[in-house]
Amino acid sequence: MATPVIMPRQGQSVESCIITSWAKKVGDEVKEGDILFSYETDKSSFDEVAQVSGTMLAILYGEGDEVPCLENVCVIGNAGEDVSAFAKGGEAAPAAAAEAPKAEAAPAAEAPKAEAAATKAENTDGRVFVSPRAKLLAEKTGVDYTLATPTGPDGRIIERDIQTLLDKGVQAAPKAEAAPAAEAPKTEAAPAAPAAEYEDVKLSNVRKVIARSMHDSLANSAQLTLNTSFDATSIQKYRAGVKANAEAMGLQNITLNDIVVFAAAKTLVDFKDLNAHFLDDKIRLFKDVHMGIAVDTPRGLLVPTVFNANHLSLNDLAKESKAVINEAKEGHINPDKLAGASFTVTNLGSFGIETFTPVINPPQVAILGVCGIQTRVRAGKDGAVETYPAMTLSLTIDHRAVDGAPGAKFLKALATNLEHFEQLLAK
Amino acid sequence: MPKSQYVDPNKVFEPEFIKFKDIPVNQYKKTLAEEEKEFGKDELVRIYHDMRTIREFETMLNEVKTKSEYNGVQYSNPGPAHLSIGQEASAVGEAYNLDINDLTFGSHRSHGEILAKGLSSIQKLSDEELTKVMEEFLGGDTLKVVKEHTEFKSVKELAQNFLLYGALAEIFARTTGFNRGLGGSMHAFFIPFGIMPNNAIVGGSGPIALGAALYKYSNHKEGIVVANFGDGATGRGPVLEAMNFSNMDQIKKLWNDGAGKGLPILFNVFDNFYGMGGQTRGETMGFDMVARLGAGFDPDEMHAERVNGYDPLAVIDAVGRQKKLLQAGKGPCLLDVVTYRVSGHSPSDSSTYRTPEEIEAWKEADPILAYRKKMVAGGIASDAEFDAIDEKVKNRMTSIMKLAINDELSPRMDLDKNPNAIADLMYSNQHVASLEPGREPEVLIPKEEDPRVKSLATKERYAFDKDGKMFSKMKLFGVRDGLFEAIIDKFYEDPTTIAYGEDNRDWGGAFAVYRGLTEALPYHRFFNAPISESAIVGSAVGYAMCGGRAIVELMYADFIGCAGDEIFNQMAKWQSMSAGILKMPIVLRVSVGSKYGAQHSQDWTALTAHIPGLKVVFPATPYDAKGLMAEALEGTDPVVFFESQRIYDKGEEFHKEGVPTGKFFIPMGEPDVKVPGKDITILTIGAVLYRALDAAKELKEKYGLEAEIIDARSIVPFNYGPVVESVKKTGRIVIVGDACERNSVMRDMASTITELAFDYLDAPPVVVGSRNWITPCFELDDKFFPQASTIIDAISEKILPLAGRVPKANFTTLEKIDRCKKGV
Repeated sequence: MATPVIMPRQGQSVESCIITSWAKKVGDEVKEGDILFSYETDKSSFDEVAQVSGTMLAILYGEGDEVPCLENVCVIGNAGEDVSAFAKGGEAAPAAAAEAPKAEAAPAAEAPKAEAAATKAENTDGRVFVSPRAKLLAEKTGVDYTLATPTGPDGRIIERDIQTLLDKGVQAAPKAEAAPAAEAPKTEAAPAAPAAEYEDVKLSNVRKVIARSMHDSLANSAQLTLNTSFDATSIQKYRAGVKANAEAMGLQNITLNDIVVFAAAKTLVDFKDLNAHFLDDKIRLFKDVHMGIAVDTPRGLLVPTVFNANHLSLNDLAKESKAVINEAKEGHINPDKLAGASFTVTNLGSFGIETFTPVINPPQVAILGVCGIQTRVRAGKDGAVETYPAMTLSLTIDHRAVDGAPGAKFLKALATNLEHFEQLLAK
Repeated sequence: MPKSQYVDPNKVFEPEFIKFKDIPVNQYKKTLAEEEKEFGKDELVRIYHDMRTIREFETMLNEVKTKSEYNGVQYSNPGPAHLSIGQEASAVGEAYNLDINDLTFGSHRSHGEILAKGLSSIQKLSDEELTKVMEEFLGGDTLKVVKEHTEFKSVKELAQNFLLYGALAEIFARTTGFNRGLGGSMHAFFIPFGIMPNNAIVGGSGPIALGAALYKYSNHKEGIVVANFGDGATGRGPVLEAMNFSNMDQIKKLWNDGAGKGLPILFNVFDNFYGMGGQTRGETMGFDMVARLGAGFDPDEMHAERVNGYDPLAVIDAVGRQKKLLQAGKGPCLLDVVTYRVSGHSPSDSSTYRTPEEIEAWKEADPILAYRKKMVAGGIASDAEFDAIDEKVKNRMTSIMKLAINDELSPRMDLDKNPNAIADLMYSNQHVASLEPGREPEVLIPKEEDPRVKSLATKERYAFDKDGKMFSKMKLFGVRDGLFEAIIDKFYEDPTTIAYGEDNRDWGGAFAVYRGLTEALPYHRFFNAPISESAIVGSAVGYAMCGGRAIVELMYADFIGCAGDEIFNQMAKWQSMSAGILKMPIVLRVSVGSKYGAQHSQDWTALTAHIPGLKVVFPATPYDAKGLMAEALEGTDPVVFFESQRIYDKGEEFHKEGVPTGKFFIPMGEPDVKVPGKDITILTIGAVLYRALDAAKELKEKYGLEAEIIDARSIVPFNYGPVVESVKKTGRIVIVGDACERNSVMRDMASTITELAFDYLDAPPVVVGSRNWITPCFELDDKFFPQASTIIDAISEKILPLAGRVPKANFTTLEKIDRCKKGV
């Protein structure tokens, strides 16, 4: 038979006690003599031990709750027994009351206990409760409010919860980018099913932001993509050389992408029209190159920025670029670093993509897509067929800001620089 | 409670009898020959003309209401029309002896009185005076219509057309009506002819007329005041209160050093036997005849008489004699004019309460026909002459009616074109230092010699010394002192200003706000009223209508209910119902109690704030109390001035330079940031300001939160700007007040703030008011009224959970639902 445990009266003047912690949770086995919970009066603290063995069937008050003396605090008995008779206030409680109430009031103004990323701000019915002010702040700072740990009343996300996210540098929602979505919808390949079977996957907030910004980008600008390829022999050779001597010379692991980014940054200095923002009534030409690097993160696409990339050595660029990519992937990048790029490079080469049409990240006017290396044939000096490694570059430009010819000239200059990478390094 | 009047136990227990003198009933005995000698033939014929005009006017209304047609002209009038067919002789008889300076107040059944008084006044005014009145009224809008579209042979005829048209256009809700159509049938009036507002509330005019008489007396104005109401209204408390108030012994014994002059007011009852359908004599009353009431109010029995209201000459005779008594300072008077309403209470009246035989008998006794017969028999005029009058009256009525229903000449208010037409009339919003400039205010001593004024000169006008330590209560210039200074300043500035209420004189007001006024002011400017809240507020309304400024006090806010109609229907509505013709410069002081249990501790701001037309303020500091009182006393609008008994002795804790000694104004409607902060806004109404300060201190010390405290100060009007700005900054707001939380001003503010600042809110605005209970004894105060801890609990539970806070108050959702469910 289920047995209720009451809050003992510790002295005549004591009206109620506060539960400081629970040692058991609903469903736990309880043995006679086990500590069930700790509580305190205004003068001292006590542990309550079990007088009976059984299963913890219900916990009626959470940590931090003030419980009137002689009120039922929890119920011990055999699994499955009805405990409604012991509910608060003597009224029959719904079955769901058997769950322990959340100890929400206690930690209050302190920093949220759980890691932001680990907790989903969802109510039991899956709805997220967020205050209008918190939502406004999230929108303004580009933060996904569902990542916040709610500390407001009734599990509501309030302003300070968004502030906590921002203070911790939690990722901003992705900016417009070209690479494929991080979270591909789960679609099972249905084997020639007679009737269409499907699963509706609700859009995550990240997905919604990507959807909106991609659509806005294409809807509001005039994009066209130019493709070219170059002989990657020079950069492959250079990379191999660096790799071999990296340890000895204290160099970074310089990737082909780093090399392309470096070359793009150097080349852009001579093509200011592409290193620019289109602002409706004016075009802002940047003196230096602030290179956006598209990164595929677990949460979606992010574009961290390497500022003043044209002034960095290849080694420093590689170092800086790695740092921001890692910060973005780990989710603690400073939101300032997710904005301010004047040009973006996106790389789908590792997936063997041969050519694609990157989507511009407004208000930038151009984005460079880097594709994989393929072996191609060409006529050699002696007329004989020879093979060489070719890398394709796909440049999307906003025709409102830049015409096709300047775009093509930039691509050509970039290809030339990459084919003669060592000479570029000398510049 | 004047010390000069010794209550002697040796005398009050002596045996004696109360003796009554006879009250005359139908004692008019003059012959027609005597009357002809007094008035002459023309006047006797004019009396017929006036009665016939009223009869035709109401016959027209009756036809319109019942047949939608009069004399071949179609019209429907959805508004009210309470007719007095049968009572014309009473109305004309009363008006005959009244002059322009004599004011009449009436009821919902006062068309006849309006026309009778108007026709009488037209007869008494010169052509130049009439022309001036008509040209100046409503910028000549009304005159223009009758001048261009009616026939007249003289200025007097034009004025008669003007009167009929102005009244009818008002009844039909036209902008050319006497009150731009905003008053209607039951509220029509025309001050230039001495016709004061009529009242749709039965007996509503009783206390208002009293106030007009008070105005005449206290400001030494010519003329008498007539309060017209029906016999049914004698069951109304405000009427009986007004009759008692007007008979106060002090007026004859103490005012003007006991000069023995009474108030110039005639309570005139048109006794038609029915209050709607209830038969007064024989069913709903026990006085047998209304005139008997006079014996209950003073040893002179109010010079009461009962006269035959079906004989205009009998009424003329009685009113003439009573007017003389009033002019000689022997008032008040009571006249019981027996008459009969042949028409129904309203057109929907099927007369289930009386027999057809009774109505027929009274129709046969028709006062107009009887008068005509008497005149023809006495050789005053021939039937042919009377027939000619009848025809002329009917033709005139037809042409006036056509004008009044003409949408082009007599348009309705166009709220599409001017959506603010009514809104702009809700308040007059004027700033007037003196309502009668040029007249010296009557005072007993120079202001500087007043003992309270002298004592205040030694008080500390900022609460803290230079080390930040608070001065002792005895040294502080408190809230009550701020109120006093603004009030005494006005008494020495505006000669029309008067103040009264219960225990105001000698006692100095129950809470010592008025201490020092007794020494400074004569009785007729400052006196103790009987315990008659309806009469206190209602008379202030009449006083203000006549052009004076009244400060009246109800002691406890809980007594608002005792003066409900006077506050909600009279004080609030007359400015707008009169289309701005009337001003209502009244300050109604009400004090919110504490320690005094369920019927003496309530904050009823919500009741008054709900009623359109009232301004409502609730200051909590000496600075604000003085500045807002000065503003209220400079204005021309009715202000319900809430004060709190918890804080009358509070010093000025916010304005470091102290409360200024001179006059200054705080505009109504402007909330005041008392303490700036960035984390949470606490909006307070009234005395809770100080509990909010305690809460802010704890929030800072324990939880590191900086509260911004905004003192609402005003409730109506209210500028949400500063509050919304604050909420944009803090994102959080608690609204605190001592009123019971349900349907409170706080709830209204919470809803409005949500509307105005939704996107900036981090949680819904939270209201911390009193519980929806009776106020328990003082020892349980903290369980009922908001405390600093309740405010913090509310913040922690509903807005921003505070680390380690264990709430004492229960703010859980379940509790909320449960309380609502139980209605507590």
